Amino acid sequence: MRRGLTLGVAAALAILVVTTYFLFYLPTLERPKLKTIVYAYCDKITGIDPSIEDDTGIVILGSVYETLLRYNPLTGSITPVLAEGWERSKDGTVWEFRLRRNVVFHDGTPFNATAVKLSIERARDVYRQTGRGCGYIWDAVEEVEIVDEYTVRLKLSYPQRMDLMAAASYSAYIFSPSTLAEAGVENPLDPDLELWFNQGNDAGTGPYFIEFYSPESEVRLRKFEKWWGWSVLNNPEAPDVVVIKIRTDPLDQYNGLLANEIDIASSVPRVNIGDIVARGYKIVNLTTFHNYVLLFNTRRHPTHIREFRLAILYSIPWSEVVRTALKGFGRLGSGIIPYGFPGHVDELTYEYNPELARKLLLESGVEPGVTIEFVYQSDYEENEAFAQLLKSRVAELGVNVELKPMAWTAVKDAGKEVWSNPERAPHLIISDWWPTMPSPYDYLYSLLHSESTEWNWAGYANTEFDKLVDEAYQLEGSNYARALELYSRAQKIVYEEGVAVNLWDEVRPFVLSRRVEMPEEALNPLYMYVIRFEYIRVKE
Amino acid sequence: MPLSLNYLFRRLFWSIAVLAGVTLLSYLILVLSPGDPAAKWAGNPRGPGAAKAVELARKELGLDLPLHLQLLNFLRMVFTGDLGLSIAYKQPVYSILWRNLAATLELLFMAYIIGIPLGSLLGIFSALKRGGHLDGVLQTSGLALANTPAFWLGMAIFATLVPYGFTAYGRISTNLAIATNFQIFTGLYLLDALLQLNAPIFFDVLARLLPPALAVAAYPTGVCLRIVRTLMADALLEEHVRVAVAWGVKRRTVVWRYAFRATLPGLVQVSGLAFAYSLVDAMVVEYVFGREGLGRLLFDAISVSDFRLAIGLLIVVATFYLIINTVADVAQALIDPRVKL
Repeated sequence: MRRGLTLGVAAALAILVVTTYFLFYLPTLERPKLKTIVYAYCDKITGIDPSIEDDTGIVILGSVYETLLRYNPLTGSITPVLAEGWERSKDGTVWEFRLRRNVVFHDGTPFNATAVKLSIERARDVYRQTGRGCGYIWDAVEEVEIVDEYTVRLKLSYPQRMDLMAAASYSAYIFSPSTLAEAGVENPLDPDLELWFNQGNDAGTGPYFIEFYSPESEVRLRKFEKWWGWSVLNNPEAPDVVVIKIRTDPLDQYNGLLANEIDIASSVPRVNIGDIVARGYKIVNLTTFHNYVLLFNTRRHPTHIREFRLAILYSIPWSEVVRTALKGFGRLGSGIIPYGFPGHVDELTYEYNPELARKLLLESGVEPGVTIEFVYQSDYEENEAFAQLLKSRVAELGVNVELKPMAWTAVKDAGKEVWSNPERAPHLIISDWWPTMPSPYDYLYSLLHSESTEWNWAGYANTEFDKLVDEAYQLEGSNYARALELYSRAQKIVYEEGVAVNLWDEVRPFVLSRRVEMPEEALNPLYMYVIRFEYIRVKE
Repeated sequence: MPLSLNYLFRRLFWSIAVLAGVTLLSYLILVLSPGDPAAKWAGNPRGPGAAKAVELARKELGLDLPLHLQLLNFLRMVFTGDLGLSIAYKQPVYSILWRNLAATLELLFMAYIIGIPLGSLLGIFSALKRGGHLDGVLQTSGLALANTPAFWLGMAIFATLVPYGFTAYGRISTNLAIATNFQIFTGLYLLDALLQLNAPIFFDVLARLLPPALAVAAYPTGVCLRIVRTLMADALLEEHVRVAVAWGVKRRTVVWRYAFRATLPGLVQVSGLAFAYSLVDAMVVEYVFGREGLGRLLFDAISVSDFRLAIGLLIVVATFYLIINTVADVAQALIDPRVKL
């Protein structure tokens, strides 16, 4: 009995001591107060190799690395970042960049011309060897010459706008040469270097560095105190820690906002936007260069007939698209290139004209009652709404539309099949695109050039169009105005043939909690989904 | 000794056969279904070299080989313990699996810590009150708990808590974790918080863990309640129990030492089976509560054609089933001398 009592008292004392320590002592320990924000991003991170990554990793790369220059879509101008100035030769085949001094990488090594040479050559050569990444932006670069520690000279095999390429959103990031030793490789093309990056290591000069990397769930960035730009920005309210949470389900992001676990949400269900505003959250709408393009299968009956395609296009009530399908979060497209992007052409739009549509259907020789298949990505609510709208209106023409919503990977499979087995590829398909570099070539080559068999889901092969696009790209470096004119002509051909149409440019509502302010400089549609956290102000 | 070498060898053989079967079947389903893993591995390349990149990726992944060679290669990878890099994330498959497995296990363990004792106690209570109103209520509750979809229950719990300002979203408060410099050692956050004597994090993690754990605990609670009630009711009528009562043995001793003990072999076996089912429940519930874990990982892996990660995950789940069922068999043999393995 006495033994039991002793044990009981001892246990009670132990619990008391532990509870006191946990509840009263620990919380009093001094801890530095860090300004932390949580950004809910809507996709998994596919990689963070600064030379190779060409997808969702941009969200990380954009804060951790820097490019030589940056493109400003509002003014169409180029602003200096790691390069302070640049000059080009008259014929556009030699470009010289003067680099910013007193810049250091996250590992403390200095930024200089060697790093620029290594970064450009690696991106270019990986692409030349394997086709991976977006190193084709450096295709024209024949030689990267180090003039002195802070000057590089690019010698090109053909004239090219290197100022635009140096501002690209992919494969233009500069990393430290010390990475080779860190990764234990001698050759920059060694796959082990890519593995090293993708383990969560970084070697950039950006305002934040990677502290924790779990690409399927969370990435944590920490403020880089030695970033050269802090003194320029003078933003003492910038976050010290940025947590990027991967939340693919919009409803999940909405729940996270309600739970005060998310400060910036990139994707909340459109139908919940009203509710979230009523609860005191702020919305920042970004008109993006992310557009949705409707493509017709030009290798299968009946969409191989021009008049039939145009009949479909004239039967769509375009004025309803933004309101009905996008709930207002979009801008009706024109041509193929998004609004505000170089090469955009106004007035390449179709109007709702049922009479003309019926006339064109008659001219096409296609009998009413025909059925066509329409494939689109199932997890985009806008696509579903648009597909329903199209189906109902095209039915008035006597054309049945079989809707086939699919996962993105299946959509891509179905789209590519237009080249190998056009009869099995859908008649209609929606592709979405965001740019790599500020050039119309990015959209027009990828989506409609006959050599682009990965992404040209229309199976479109028009030598005149191909020639115009290729020629325009070659001319960008020497006669930019003429190049834009050729791109415009190429889009006009597509418009007249009704092969593809930009349905809409996405307007993305970013939802902010009350403690966060996001000035417009923090977003740039060329660098899709990248938030420049150095501009964010956190109110405690 | 209730265990024989013969049993161990048989068990090992069938375990390997099951794992090989899971691997082959999953490979066929995932690789032959829509979605091109080679395009994903190449990073969905753009530009003039895109087609070349995809073809090279196909070779690197061995997807250009005849199907039987692909299957053999993949089996070799599985049984040498190297599934390579995830196609979507370009990180070793096992390191991704471990990060997420820990999250799911933490939830599952908590659900079991709640569910098995609670179900057993209610089952005992129901058996002691057999034939009465309370017995009827408890039996019906057990049936309802065992049959309510955990997904629905999870949503109901989440929605119920929100109006009271209490949300169990995610595994941990990000701000608190950063403010208290919380470090991840094992991936089991409760354990990590204890190891670092980090009370705020411990209670935060616990508060976020309990609501989803309650949803996952519903099934084992219901099943245990019903099985213990049935076995216990039988045991209370056994000769040795009645003799003990007649001899004036204390009620507590009769219930726990004689009657409840007789239910243990059955309870252990059912708990093992319920564990497998609850693992699936946990994978679903974690999605509702915004927690990372195997469920979310599997969904994402399949949606991006990451067959290496998806199969690795299915192998882990299958291995758990095998281990738990083996443990249940062995435990049953140890508890019940009539059972020989």
